[in-house]
This record gives sequence, C-alpha cells and structure tokens, in this order.
Amino acid sequence: MTLQRTAIGPLQRPWTSRWMALLLMTRLFGAAVAVLLLVVHRVTAHDGALIIAVLAFTAVSLAAFTLAPRLQLSPAAWFVDSLAVLALVTASEDWRSPFYVLMLTALILPATGLPFRRALAWGVTFMLGYLGVAVYAELDTEALENSIRLETIATHLMVPLVVTLALAYAADVLERLRDERLRSERLAVESERQRIAWELHDSAKQRVHAAHLVLSALHGQIDGAQAELVSHALGELRAAGADMDTSVAELRTPLEGRSVQRLLRERAAQLAPASDAEIVVRGTVGELPAHVAAHAYRIGAEALTNAVRHGDAAHIEVLLSRNGANATIEVCDDGRGLPAIRRPGSNGLRSMRARAETIGAALSIGQGADGRGTRVHLRLATDPREGNERP
Amino acid sequence: MIRILIVDDHPALRAGLTAVLRAEPGMVPLDAAASVHDLWPALHRTKPDVVVLDYHLPEHDGLVVCRRIKRELLAPAVLLYSAYADASLTIPALLAGVDGLVSKAAPANELYDAIRRVSRGERVLPPISRELLDQAGAKLSADDLPILGMTLDSTPLTEMAQTLGLEPTDIARRIDRMIKRLKVEIPVPRGAR
Repeated sequence: MTLQRTAIGPLQRPWTSRWMALLLMTRLFGAAVAVLLLVVHRVTAHDGALIIAVLAFTAVSLAAFTLAPRLQLSPAAWFVDSLAVLALVTASEDWRSPFYVLMLTALILPATGLPFRRALAWGVTFMLGYLGVAVYAELDTEALENSIRLETIATHLMVPLVVTLALAYAADVLERLRDERLRSERLAVESERQRIAWELHDSAKQRVHAAHLVLSALHGQIDGAQAELVSHALGELRAAGADMDTSVAELRTPLEGRSVQRLLRERAAQLAPASDAEIVVRGTVGELPAHVAAHAYRIGAEALTNAVRHGDAAHIEVLLSRNGANATIEVCDDGRGLPAIRRPGSNGLRSMRARAETIGAALSIGQGADGRGTRVHLRLATDPREGNERP
Repeated sequence: MIRILIVDDHPALRAGLTAVLRAEPGMVPLDAAASVHDLWPALHRTKPDVVVLDYHLPEHDGLVVCRRIKRELLAPAVLLYSAYADASLTIPALLAGVDGLVSKAAPANELYDAIRRVSRGERVLPPISRELLDQAGAKLSADDLPILGMTLDSTPLTEMAQTLGLEPTDIARRIDRMIKRLKVEIPVPRGAR
C-alpha cells in the first residue's frame, strides 16, 4: 500500500469533515465558557470588548474554515488561527485565561492534518508560544516560587501537548484503518476477478471448444446452404473463444508482479519473428502502482503490435523512462504512419485512449520526430495518491 | 480401427470428443477419464492405440503424465490436446515423448487427421523454428544440449545412453529436468485450485 501522508499540501483527507465537526463543537463550547466567565467574574477592565472580540473571532474563524474547506488543511490558516487565540489570551492579561479552552481548539486541525511527528512538533511550538504569552502576561520569579502556581503553570503547559498527542494518534490510527480497509476491498475485488477468470477459462471456454469440435465434425458431411450456416456458426464459436481469451487476460491479476519493461521485452520477442522490423526496448519505468502498470503495459503492447502489424517499419523503438514522479513510455517507428482514414473495426486506438484515461495518464499519438512513422507517447501519473482510485 | 482413450477434466469436452470420435468411421472411443487417477485403470483395461490427453489437468502437468504413459509396456501414441497449442510448447512436448499436438480450437477433421497419423507412428508437431530452438537452448545447460539434439532426431534412449556414456535412467532424469525448465507456464488463477 503506497498511500502515505507525505505532504502538508492540500491533500484530500476523508476524515477532515469529522475533525471539522469536532472543531465546531469545541470552539462554540470554548467561546460559551469564555463569555460566561467574563460575565460572571470581572477579569479585566475591558471585559465588554473581550466578549465582542471572542464572539467575532469564533464566528469569523468557523465561517472561514467551513466556507473555504481548503483552509482546513492550510498550515498558514492554522498559524493565523493559533496567533489569534494566543492574542486573546494575552488580551485577558492572565495565563489562567477564560480563553484557555478556546485556545486548545486551535490545535485540532494541525494535530489531525499533519503526519504524526510534525503534529507533535506543532504542539510543542504551540506550547512554547503559550509559555511566551504567560511570561509576557504575568509570570515572574515570585510566581514560580509558589509551588501551587508552579504546578498550575506546568499543567497548563502540558495540556496542549496531551491534546495534540491524542488527536494525532487518533488521526493516524484512522488513516491506517482506512488504508487497511481499502486494501482488503481491493483484495476482495482481486479474488473475485480471479474466480471469474477461472470460471471463464476452465468452464465456459471448454464448452465453447466442445461445441466447436462437435459442430466442426459436420463439416464435409453437408453441403450448400447448410454448410454455410455451419461454417458461420463455427466462425462465431471461434470468435467467442478469442473473446474469452481476451477477457481472461484482462481479469487475471494485472501483470502478476512482473515489471512493465520485462513484459514489453517479452512482447517484442514474441512479435519479432512475425516482422522484418528491428525492435529495440530500452530503459525502465521503475515501480508503478499495480493497475497503472497493467494499463501502461497494455497500451505499450498495443502500440507495439500496431507498429509491427500495420506500420511497415524497419525500426521500432520502445523507450521507457522514469524521472522522479514522471514515467513515460514511448513507442516510435519509421513506417507508414497513421492511416488518414481509420481502419474499419479497429478498436486499438480507442481502447488505448480509454486505458490512458482510466489511469489518468496523458497519451499522444502522432507522427514520428522527422515527420515519418508513428510516435505513441504515454506520460504516467505515478503519484501514489493519484494512482490509487478504485479500479 | 483406431482405439482411443480420452483424458480431459471437463465433462463437456469429454462428451464432445467421445461423440465426435464415435461419428468418424475407423475410430472407437473406448473410455473417457476425468483425471489422472482414473487414467491408469482405464489405460490398463482398454489398452488403447492412441491417448488424447488434455495438457492442463487438475494437479497434473500433461507432459509429466505423458512421460509416465510412455514408460508403460507397449505404450500407446499420445496426442496432447491443449487450449494453448502454441509453438513454445513444441520442444517440451517432444522431450516428453508426445506424438502429436492439437489445439482444442482445431476443427474435427484436423483432430481425425492427427489421430490417424500418430496411430501410424508419425509425429504431428508444428515445425521447430530457429528462434524456438535458440530460446530453448538458452534455458538449458550445455550438458543438456546433446540430449535435446538427439531427441529432435528421434534417437532411441538406449542409443543416446551409449553415445553419452550414461545410464538410460540418468538420461531419463535429465530429460525430466529439461522438461521442467522448458515448461510453458499456464495461467492458473491463484487459489483457484
């Protein structure tokens, strides 16, 4: 499984909406606590302004995160949010602030949106920020000599860390659970495909062979219109057998762990005796997600087959390359080039395009470099997140 | 009259083959075995001239079964009947002592023809091309190549043993190993069996 949380960037996290709901609830709760404390106890000389500020902050921050979901995963937005809550704590002139609960809610999105270690780093930084505010607001050496106050500040400093740890752990576990479920779903689909392939091959196809054999025994014993009917039926049965072979090939585990380059080389070796062209396969595309590799191979194989069968080429070159996240497969020949009019019944190009679309790859089919022959160029998206949509 | 034993794991093909062979004058299908387990009693009871053997039997490789049939006293001719009768099967089939190779997709008259020819002691195998021979040679060790060459020339086992200064059993063991190396992998879905 290649699904990993690798970047801070705006990646699609399915749990985000749930964490957003948690933020919504706790922040409203935190704001209510703050307003209640400000109303019941006199905290500062400017309690009225603080009440307006906390209500405005709560409304604006929640509206922004809800209306622009992109912000839920933006470190810049988290940073602004954290600065705002720390500013509120500073404005309350006491680190045992009525805004303490509200302040903790600013940890929810970064703790769940970042990979585990980075989330912890964020939590520690946030705690240091809070310590800075505490020192600025009130904390002095006299306060630290009082053991009860020392204990209180220690607790206040630990809570952000504990909250971050718990949330980051939960997010991590949920992520793994999701990966695991995806994997087992994929395995279930895989084994179902295996079963269908097996039934097609081992049962249905044997019956087609049997029917073909029995019917073909009539051949030569009848003549005229009946013979024509029989030979028509035989043709259909042969086509059915060929269709089944294709379906079985598609259903079998794509490539079964063999690499694209190796299979293309094998395909080239199979085609070589049937062609006068010199076929060269060079390079490698490296590791690819299994079903991307499967479709990439079939596109490459189809292009190669076309070049051999219809291209009338002297040289055919298959170039594979991998540069970081970019993988390309290129099939070039120096033959006749693409026909001006599509050959009747040729599904090849259409199926190549459909396959490229399935795996989100860019496929271009056109003239060769010097205006001769055909060049098929396939650029693959190897980002595991993009390659991981359901097959 | 050619007496024929059929070995195929699929009932539709057993029934189809039996019907088709019964319809052809001069051919008698004696029995149809569904598995290798059923094959031996049927073989000993009926003593056929030709065995039409499915290449892809459950839990058994058709080539290994063929080797065993050929070890019998007065062994029948073996016609390998395969859904994958492609050229790469020819050399391993030849080494296993197969007399003929017919695709399951072939029409009945091709099958009749092949059965008649193998029953006369002829070989009905696709021609072995240069590439095929090179590919096979690349998979085998240098010691095996003389055995491959002599098998292609239909040299009897005893003569082969004499030429190479080996025991016939050694040669047989080496041929078994060569078949294993050259065996055409058939796509069996994982966990299907």
